Amino acid sequence: MGPTLYRKKAPLIAFLLPAFVFLILFLYYPFIQNIINSFSDITGLGAPAQGLNTPWYANYATLFTDPKLRTALGNTVLLTICTVIFQVGIALILALLVDSIRVGAQLFRTLYFFPIVISATALGLMFNLIFLYNGGMLNQLLTNLGFAAENIDWKDPDHFLFTMFAPVMWQYVGFYFVILVTGLNNISQDLYEAAALDGCTGLNRVRYVTLPLLRNVLCTCLVLAITGSLKVFDLPWVMFGAGMPQDQGWLTGTYMYDQTFNRGNVDYGSAIAILIVVLGVLFSNIANRVFKPRNDI
Amino acid sequence: MKKNRLLALGLASALTLGLLAGCGGKPSAPGSTSGTGGDKSNSGAKPAGGVELTVVTSYGGDDGNRSNYENAVASYEAATGNKIMDASGTSNEEWKAKVLTDFQTGTEPDVLFFFTSSDAEPIIQAGKVVDIATIRATYPDYADNMRDSMLAVASDGKNYAIPSSGFWENMFVNTKVLSDCGVAVPGPDYTWDQFLADCETIKAKGYAPIACSLFEVPHYWFEFCIMNNGTLGEQLAIPGSATDAVGQKWAAGLNDIKDLYEKGYFPVNTLTATDAETVQLFAEGEAAFLIDGSWKINYFVDNYGDQLSDYAISYVPAKGERKASEAIGGISMGYFITKKAWDDPAKQAAAVEFVKHMTSDDVMSTFVTTEVTALKNGASPSGLNPLQQAAADANASITGVIGPVQDTITSESRTDLFANVQNVVTGKMSAEDAVASALALN
Repeated sequence: MGPTLYRKKAPLIAFLLPAFVFLILFLYYPFIQNIINSFSDITGLGAPAQGLNTPWYANYATLFTDPKLRTALGNTVLLTICTVIFQVGIALILALLVDSIRVGAQLFRTLYFFPIVISATALGLMFNLIFLYNGGMLNQLLTNLGFAAENIDWKDPDHFLFTMFAPVMWQYVGFYFVILVTGLNNISQDLYEAAALDGCTGLNRVRYVTLPLLRNVLCTCLVLAITGSLKVFDLPWVMFGAGMPQDQGWLTGTYMYDQTFNRGNVDYGSAIAILIVVLGVLFSNIANRVFKPRNDI
Repeated sequence: MKKNRLLALGLASALTLGLLAGCGGKPSAPGSTSGTGGDKSNSGAKPAGGVELTVVTSYGGDDGNRSNYENAVASYEAATGNKIMDASGTSNEEWKAKVLTDFQTGTEPDVLFFFTSSDAEPIIQAGKVVDIATIRATYPDYADNMRDSMLAVASDGKNYAIPSSGFWENMFVNTKVLSDCGVAVPGPDYTWDQFLADCETIKAKGYAPIACSLFEVPHYWFEFCIMNNGTLGEQLAIPGSATDAVGQKWAAGLNDIKDLYEKGYFPVNTLTATDAETVQLFAEGEAAFLIDGSWKINYFVDNYGDQLSDYAISYVPAKGERKASEAIGGISMGYFITKKAWDDPAKQAAAVEFVKHMTSDDVMSTFVTTEVTALKNGASPSGLNPLQQAAADANASITGVIGPVQDTITSESRTDLFANVQNVVTGKMSAEDAVASALALN
């Protein structure tokens, strides 16, 4: 029955059609409309365009001269780098550690994955309390233990990057952890036993057996992490709002939202959205080339 | 085989039709809800014979009148059997933008409690709300307990909103902090120089003199600082440019805020704190002065009811021609009925009844304590707590009240102006440039 079913393509096309229609309606049509909007003069969400901008590429010219967008791009690139190093890096270390224990592995899997199921808004509120200037958990700890003489403003220009990035890193470590642990479980024990007979144990086992065999899974994690970091919005928005501190805290996502929804600058927000898409495609292509999965593994 | 193919095609068709049905642009059925509050268009959940109304107000979050609002809604529901789908939020620029966006995208509520100033012009000009004369043609007793002369007049000369309680903005003081610093509670003759001297004393004692988040709510200080550089009568003038007399007045006001910031009179984290954080600082006796509105009284009653005697209402220090006894106030918000609800036969009467209920003498008396009211019979608040009494005492010495100038500029202009206050005080932008930037968006 199976081969007959797949020889005839009509049923497959019929099954593919709903998803195709869905994508056309809710992805490609809005995307094309967004491109048109980025050349138009629109002063409010839902308001009709007042014709084209003068000149029509005005918003794209502004992209090159807007200092806040430059800040947003810088912060986003930095977030991407931190994501690769810390999010995937910490997830890898945790996965290797959990994989090497026999008791409690399932417990750790659940514990590390748990932040993923909490909404970003709730996490943002929680971290706001942790980093609160007056009476925040971190400041209380530091002052009471004598590590700080007075409260630290964790959202000021000297500290905001740490305060913004740390929760984002923490939130998604569990996601990559689970992927990597699954990858580790797929490595045959026979290989480890053979390596042990050859005298390869401890860190050498990780270096010469685990990491090479985990390469494809690791590459997938890195591509997901890089493209995901370009879209980060919710947690920084809840914690920092519009560009805190002093317009230094913008990310491309938060800046686009502020321009579109708070300032009514819908056409410029659309141009920023196009920029985010272009960057996303560019970054993911680079990541795919650099971390290209190998078929010989 | 044929059976399988038919089944496959049937499933695919159902999926496609289901998807397209979800995209249908038909208005929701009468009685079902639509709007901003995450409410459901499930007629099955509707109470028998009742109507579901989506209502958006600013009585959300930690608003001081939240409990009064909830009680009023509950009494309306009990009396009518109708259901209110409340989608209220906390009033700030983001909330205003969201409300306007909901109207632009066709997801407006049935009843809206919103600002009656220039903020409402986009929805009025788009014909999204119904004017009072039209409503009275069908419901002659609509808002007949209100003084018509106090109804806000829109740019087309019509009245749209039924005013709720008015407001005043003035300076709250923490008497415990002042006492500890040996500073007297300011009177109606309080000058700017005295204020600076007091701030220095308070700062030396280790307190934050002024509780304010310049990141989130610099507008209270902006209003009074520009009034200090002009007069009460000139308060509502809009600059033609940053260099004309009014533009210079605005720039001077911003520079006064910068001066206070540079002297270290605001909390250390004023550029990164939220309004809630700085108000808490004041409430818990770590800051001395707070400019806020009449709505904040209930916040203190609800959260610090056992220490109300630690707070008093005083006067914002004056300089130049302004007197400290001159304040910001008026009636700036009211209830609108949307065109969508008015045109829906199932909702029209329910929406009218809801607004009549919320603006009735009895309900309004739970909201109005020391504020201006448009009620013909006035409000009858039942007993004043110590803080309300302090407000009433302070109001007795008020010699002039004017509305906030920020209500007369566009939302985009206002957002830009207040977002740039942090850049002005840190010297990243001149006050003149901040004014020019805001005017370019007005």
